[in-house]
Amino acid sequence: MAKSNKIKGTQNQVVARSRRLTFLLFSIPGIFLYSLFFIYPVLMGVYYSLTDWDGIARNVNFIGLKNYVKIFTKSPRFQNAITFNLKYTLMYVVCILVLGIVLALILNHRVKGITFFRAMFFLPAVLCGVTVGLIFSQIFYRVVPAFGQALGIDLLSTNILGDKRLAIYGILFVGVWVGLAMPTVLFLAGLQTIPQDLYESAMIDGANSFDQFRYITMPFLIPVITIVMILSIKGGLGIFDLIKALTDGGPARSTESVSYLVYTDAFKNNKFSFAIAESVVVGVILAVVSVVQVVFQNRKKVSA
Amino acid sequence: MKMSSRTKALTYVVCILGVLLVVFPLYVTVVTAFKSPNESARSFLTLPSSLYLDNFQNILRGGDYWTAFFNTVYITAFVLLGNLVIMPMLAYAVSRSMNISRWYRILYYYLLLGIFIPFQVKMIPLVKLMSSLNLMSPTGLSILCIGSSTCESVFLYVGYMESIPRDIEEAAYIDGASTAYTFYRVVLPLLKPILATAMIKDGLWIWNDYMLPLLILNKSASHWTLTLFAYNFRSTNAIDYGASFACYCLQMLPILVFYVFMQKNIIGGLTAGAVTS
Repeated sequence: MAKSNKIKGTQNQVVARSRRLTFLLFSIPGIFLYSLFFIYPVLMGVYYSLTDWDGIARNVNFIGLKNYVKIFTKSPRFQNAITFNLKYTLMYVVCILVLGIVLALILNHRVKGITFFRAMFFLPAVLCGVTVGLIFSQIFYRVVPAFGQALGIDLLSTNILGDKRLAIYGILFVGVWVGLAMPTVLFLAGLQTIPQDLYESAMIDGANSFDQFRYITMPFLIPVITIVMILSIKGGLGIFDLIKALTDGGPARSTESVSYLVYTDAFKNNKFSFAIAESVVVGVILAVVSVVQVVFQNRKKVSA
Repeated sequence: MKMSSRTKALTYVVCILGVLLVVFPLYVTVVTAFKSPNESARSFLTLPSSLYLDNFQNILRGGDYWTAFFNTVYITAFVLLGNLVIMPMLAYAVSRSMNISRWYRILYYYLLLGIFIPFQVKMIPLVKLMSSLNLMSPTGLSILCIGSSTCESVFLYVGYMESIPRDIEEAAYIDGASTAYTFYRVVLPLLKPILATAMIKDGLWIWNDYMLPLLILNKSASHWTLTLFAYNFRSTNAIDYGASFACYCLQMLPILVFYVFMQKNIIGGLTAGAVTS
């Protein structure tokens, strides 16, 4: 008896060892790719941001935090870009939240053909941002001014992407066009978790539709609102494709985002280490947003 | 809940306006693509007076479009396949070892670390790394994308595996199946729904991606993807509306066809993935 147990024990050990080995072999390719193409470039980036490397030179000098000091004290162009990003992100988040909730409420009505409408509204989410941007740049160039002139609206009678004050709104419009689909579907999913009898009893108690929205719908949507808000903050701060397709940062650098600036500084102006430092600054901001996201999501899980 | 006819009417008004807003740019794209240069210079919004096919013919006859098309298909297929081979294995090892091994717990956090790291930070060093490894090619980009998809895949797959009861695997083990056999024959088939989600999300990302191809592949036209082709086409043929729009049509067409047939799965897949991106 004791002997057979012992044999079984060693057998188990053999099985466990072969299992551990299989798991190790299973993990290696993934860990390798991830470490080489994800973590290593990040570490390299942080290191280069502390040097004076120009992207070509052989010898690289360690200069400490000088690049960062320069960003915050002597770089009006970076400040211009971050101001654009913040302004854009603020407007973008507000538009996405308000329009997303309104649209979701409307698409939640069970009328004939609503599945078709939902499918149509989701369509922009699968299209390529750059292609859509290129199409809209022609629309802003040719269609919108024609409408503006016909209707006698001065504001729209020229290409708004060519106007220093208005270009940001053109980008915002396309950004919302592309970016609204996903939040709407998330809100819609959120709305469908609300038990219908809550509304019925509220109606019996004499609550009007605004009260119902304020005291039933909103509380149920809070978790989705958090997710959508964080996603759109990330989207707004990281905007690059649309700017490349619509304005190329112009006119007069009025629509230059930080990502765009990083790209130009690195590949057009050969200020490599400085550009990397700029990207690390945005990176830290975005990382903080991501941490907040995870904290909120975990809290949501706990309460659910 | 009964709806008043006013609410109903309002719903339709908003829906129809919204659909018009969504369709309008696509309409402009299609009609312009079928117009001769003369006609598109005269009128932008009207339907084409006759079906002018030269725009499409010129693009399709030039080899660059097909090169870009096959590059895009190649990269997408390579990444999806690579992800399918490598990431579920990794996620399985992590998911089934996390509870008993500290190392795998650390590994799990290491793999999720990437969620907090925005692309901008590694953008420039990546280009240097890729060129020093001689990987500035569609194949190189594919390998890079597989590596970049790690965090999200591991997050999705591990989460899903936690919901699969382990009794099924235990039964296979007791019958003497090896770990690898159990994984491929028992666990992997159960993962189908989450694999589909990840494939749809990654597929759309890679098909539509602009930034990574711009960084890695822009140097030579033989490496371009469809998005790069469309972007670069604009810069070289700025005045030729018809041709540009035909080009945009051809970039979007495969996705639109895919969307028509897979609409439910796509919406489900993208919303499931939205939480991690």
